[in-house]
Amino acid sequence: MGDPKEITTLQTSTILISTIIGVGVLPLPLFAVRAGDTGAPLVTLSGIALAAIGLFIITVLGMRHPEKTIITYSQEILGKWMGRFCSLFVIFFFLILTGLASREFGEVVVSAVLRETPLEVTVIVMLLLACLSCRNNINVFSYIHNFYVPMILAPAMIVVVLSLKNANVLYLRPLIGTNFYDMFTGMLTISALFQGTFIITMIIPSMKTPNKALKASFWGISISGGLYLLLVIATVAVFGPEEIKQIFWPTLELARTTTVPGNILQRLDVIFLAVWVTAVFTTLFSSYFFTIHSIKEICHLKDHKMLSYFILPFVFILAMVPKDILQLYEVIQYVGRAGLLITIFYPGSLLLIDFIKGWRKKKSVSQQL
Amino acid sequence: MFHNNCKLRLIILFFLLFPLLSGCWDSQEIEQRATVLAIGIDVVDSKAPKEDEISHLKNQFPIPNEQMIKLTAQIAIPGRIPLGPEQTGGAEKPVLVMEVVGHTLDDAILNLQQELADKLFLGHLRIIVLNEKIAKRGTQRFNDFLKRNPEIRRTASLVVSKEPAAKYMKLSPELERVPSLYLADMVDNLTALGKFPPSFIGLFWAILSSKGQDPILPYLALKKGSNIQLNGFAYFHGDRMVGKTSPSEIGVYMSIIGIKKGGYGAFTKIPGKEEMVLVRAVSRNTKIKVRIKDGNPHVDIKVRYESEIDEKYSPTISLLKSKMIRDIDKQASKDTAKSIRDLIKKTQKTKSDIFGFGEHFRAKLPSYWNGKIKTKENWDRFYKDLTFDVHVETNIHRVGMKAK
Amino acid sequence: MSLFRNTKKRKLNKIKAKPLVPSKVMEEHSDTPTSSSLKETEELIKEILGENDDLDIKYFKIFGQYNAALFYFPNLVNIEIINIDILKPLMYVPEHLIGREKPLPQLIDLILNEALYHCQARIESNIEKLIEVLLRGETVICIDGIQEAIHIGTRSIEKRSIAQPETEQVILGPREGFIENIATNIALLRYRLPTADFQVKTMNIGRLTKSTVAYCYLKGIANETVIKEVEKRLSEIDIDAIMDVGYLEQFIEDNPFSPFPQTQSTERPDRTVANLIEGRVAILVDGSPFALMVPVVFNQFYQTTEDYSSRFLMGSFVRMARILALVFSLVFPSLYVSLISFNPELLPTEFAVAVAGGRAGVPFPAVFEVLIIEVAMEVLREATVRLPKQVGGALSIVGVLVIGQAAVEAGLSSPITVVVIAITTIGSFATPAYSAAFALRMLRFPIMIMAGIFGLYGVVIGIIFIFNHMLSLKSFGVPYMAPVSPEDYQGVKDVVFRSPLWWMPKRPNFLHPDNRNRLKKNNNTVLKHSKIGNDQREGLNNGGSERNHNTSNIDNLN
Repeated sequence: MGDPKEITTLQTSTILISTIIGVGVLPLPLFAVRAGDTGAPLVTLSGIALAAIGLFIITVLGMRHPEKTIITYSQEILGKWMGRFCSLFVIFFFLILTGLASREFGEVVVSAVLRETPLEVTVIVMLLLACLSCRNNINVFSYIHNFYVPMILAPAMIVVVLSLKNANVLYLRPLIGTNFYDMFTGMLTISALFQGTFIITMIIPSMKTPNKALKASFWGISISGGLYLLLVIATVAVFGPEEIKQIFWPTLELARTTTVPGNILQRLDVIFLAVWVTAVFTTLFSSYFFTIHSIKEICHLKDHKMLSYFILPFVFILAMVPKDILQLYEVIQYVGRAGLLITIFYPGSLLLIDFIKGWRKKKSVSQQL
Repeated sequence: MFHNNCKLRLIILFFLLFPLLSGCWDSQEIEQRATVLAIGIDVVDSKAPKEDEISHLKNQFPIPNEQMIKLTAQIAIPGRIPLGPEQTGGAEKPVLVMEVVGHTLDDAILNLQQELADKLFLGHLRIIVLNEKIAKRGTQRFNDFLKRNPEIRRTASLVVSKEPAAKYMKLSPELERVPSLYLADMVDNLTALGKFPPSFIGLFWAILSSKGQDPILPYLALKKGSNIQLNGFAYFHGDRMVGKTSPSEIGVYMSIIGIKKGGYGAFTKIPGKEEMVLVRAVSRNTKIKVRIKDGNPHVDIKVRYESEIDEKYSPTISLLKSKMIRDIDKQASKDTAKSIRDLIKKTQKTKSDIFGFGEHFRAKLPSYWNGKIKTKENWDRFYKDLTFDVHVETNIHRVGMKAK
Repeated sequence: MSLFRNTKKRKLNKIKAKPLVPSKVMEEHSDTPTSSSLKETEELIKEILGENDDLDIKYFKIFGQYNAALFYFPNLVNIEIINIDILKPLMYVPEHLIGREKPLPQLIDLILNEALYHCQARIESNIEKLIEVLLRGETVICIDGIQEAIHIGTRSIEKRSIAQPETEQVILGPREGFIENIATNIALLRYRLPTADFQVKTMNIGRLTKSTVAYCYLKGIANETVIKEVEKRLSEIDIDAIMDVGYLEQFIEDNPFSPFPQTQSTERPDRTVANLIEGRVAILVDGSPFALMVPVVFNQFYQTTEDYSSRFLMGSFVRMARILALVFSLVFPSLYVSLISFNPELLPTEFAVAVAGGRAGVPFPAVFEVLIIEVAMEVLREATVRLPKQVGGALSIVGVLVIGQAAVEAGLSSPITVVVIAITTIGSFATPAYSAAFALRMLRFPIMIMAGIFGLYGVVIGIIFIFNHMLSLKSFGVPYMAPVSPEDYQGVKDVVFRSPLWWMPKRPNFLHPDNRNRLKKNNNTVLKHSKIGNDQREGLNNGGSERNHNTSNIDNLN
């Protein structure tokens, strides 16, 4: 890429955090509660664990190839054409993910804040913002993520802390849900919210010290996962599982129930949403960035700036495909679970093949000796 | 290269942003909004005007079955409420009170909009008053609209009134210029003073949806002039109000659900004498244990009071000895235990588990709950025959500044 | 270095093939040597300089023997020096030369080494150079029969005295400011930095003005690549005139389309020195009382030297107030618009109802109301800047009090709007760096329009856009938002909170200084005491008095 390798470990962690925390924050407790009733925190925790395994796999894979991204080393591991073929899937998946995330964002904005504004406008503004920011190089990409992380974490934490005065511990018990099949699918849905972690495959080649990638991803997933867990616990404790099932965005509802002491602001939800826009931006930014840089690498393009504009209409059209919010969430859950194949199973098998190849090489070397 | 990009960037920006400039879709100036501050919902009496065909044509759509409601809204009139410190207030009322009828809440609000030039704005809706009669018919049909609308605050208050809710909308209290604000502040402050457990519409909904608990709401009554009194609480079975209590029972209720801050006092007889002292609860500590006793659910309620003596009724006795205080402790505990038992029994008659014992069973005995109860309806049956033990302990720590 | 964006592949380079030197006569004579005949030289000079009436030629005889002429512009030179230090020793043979033979070939040596009382006397034989120095206020002596001419530095330009800087006032701290004269300015810097590491490099830029440009840095502290880049960017400039340091700024900044300043200009020598010590490069131009500092980061623009000279709690508190003002000046009006037109539910009910009352008679939407008053405010501000001081005060009173009051009473705006605009305007005055305050003032308008379209959502989008832009900016290879992002532990101590000086033992890393230690660890025993507690200090009282007073230096501290 020609850019100096400047991304620090802290920046890698913050990229992961801000990428993970995104649109998913709002419906997360609903997904968790649907799957596990009062066991929602457990479902969340297992979802995080699954996502952490996936992240671990791609990090190890990346550290074995510290100069390359998944697009390039998959060609090395699987062979040129097979690798490219699989990469196409990855790219297409992230294209869809970008579209769906922007659509979900638009739906929230249109139903909660700007009720008269056309959905298309809110979506396109957000996509445009991501698209323009994607013209920068990977270092600026990391600066941007690094900068916004405190602004994303702080309001969520404030809402959680302030809402605890309405909490009812009884709603959190029993810890284990009832239906284990539901819990399993719920776990998949939740770990699908962590698919943004795939961005680390792009980051590792630009890291100052790729050896520390594992540490970075550990911190990244523990902080963002911790926040997710806290949010689920807080919403369940405040509303109870039955009430959550009736709300699309329990987290937003949590912000609406919370009041700031002293009545400076009458309602936190609008502020929360405004800040949440930042979180959505960073998430979209990552998946958009991943998409265009993967395309750039697969086609051996020199410049990604024009590509960034070129992709925009496609993402927009993808975003407009679902007919309404209910269909949108069906699609999101479906795509999310299917995506686990791409974000966990695919790198897992890559790693396996890579291991076997490495082992064989060693063996043949030792035989020759 | 640089210049090329720049031009392109500008062109794209122009094409994309120009359509944006054409619209300020959601912009609605504050003074052009009809800010609804409070609404009251009543049943329609026969004299009320007939509804015009606004949200449904006659005979074309099924008209909702339930009885029509009368909605009274209090709308702020911009300009009547002056900015800054209040000058000597004019005689004009700062709010507009409007009445409409409708089949559902949304229907009524649409009808209301039909009579107003400015767009209705519910973002400042602070209090919703339900008349007792309408509360007894069920609140579920209002909840749907209120939950769907993003403008509604989840922290708004919902109260039940003895008199027609319209009367509350037309009140003009002396303490505050805007009547509904007085009403809303009063309900909010009750919680702060320890006179009522936290109560807002979001909490009401959460309790309503939970399987093992029934909600309560403040019950207001009008007194002489334009004074409002907290006259107990209305308790519900599901979404229907089934009864009300006396104000002192609020304190009892608060002690069972374990609200720390105490605010109520009760006259307690000094054992062996005919005199009374007023014992006021300062703080409480409640422990609820649930178990299965002989195959049936059983609840142990343990309440520990920290109290103080506020007032002694008669000058003839003196509170000098600590033994006497201990006696009062015991007497107060006995009295409280009795009122707790009474209140529980009262609610058992209407199957309304306002204390959330069901939630305790669900949370602490999940296998029993899943095996035998599982649904709200089942729990209602169990609650009716729930056995319970009450144990109250009172500690009077303070007697005030008087030594005798 | 790919770090540096070479956006300055200026068009000028392409046109360079054509002769650009404006003076045709000079161009013709660029290589002409001076003649040994006084008459010819004289004619040549007269030809080049035309019939300039302010050129004086004084004919005289050196040591009474040789014909010579003195060329000078009397308005540029110090006549007294010419009379006493040049003419006197040359016309009136000095005592030690009396009786000695003065042959023509050795005359120049004799004059320079034994006769002239002036240290800035040099020989030159190129007519172009001679003209140049003549124009700069030197005096040229041509001797009949000798080809080379002597030129002597007699320049004397009227300069104002060193005064308090007008644009950056402080309560605590030095009162000196730069003046237009670059020599004085460099002297002001040298006075504060009497170290061999302090380097001053000069060059001339501007085909007409031939302004002296000096870039200064501390060797061993400033980053070598930055110094090279500064030199490169400066040497690429080819323009006819440099009137002020701002001309240079526009040529050397990284992104000319950005509203944010990417260099910092200051009038204060102490600030310049502080920046040099942090590892920056300062650029001075003759004729401008400002120094330009590169590379910069954004947080510099709300810092003042006073933050450091006052105690750290005070400095931090003031700085936080300044940051708040910065935020106000950027988003306050747009927040107001979005609260009024989009989300009135955020306001407390009583206030919302009252605000609605205040706005009841205003015919415009809040966006237009705010925009109109903002524009009026900008006009007013510009008017007050241009007016003479006495009138300016009156105008601002008229503007703020009378017009504001009248606008409210006429129903053109609501009282709250006036309050909001007032706070915004005051907020923008609190930013110490004028150019940064200006950037935010300018960006306020697009955000207001965004707020008018999307409410709070628009404001957030606008702010994200601005932040993204700032994060992608670089100033001479240093990320603009450093040390916040990319993070730098040493630097972060000095962003929002001005940490005590002993907490910041190292120079910020983001400027890549080679030499990072600010404090020496062992020798600051005084600090140790104050950190432990005052009671211990009494016992070790003599520790403090062992300071290494270099008394011999005191003489130089005049």
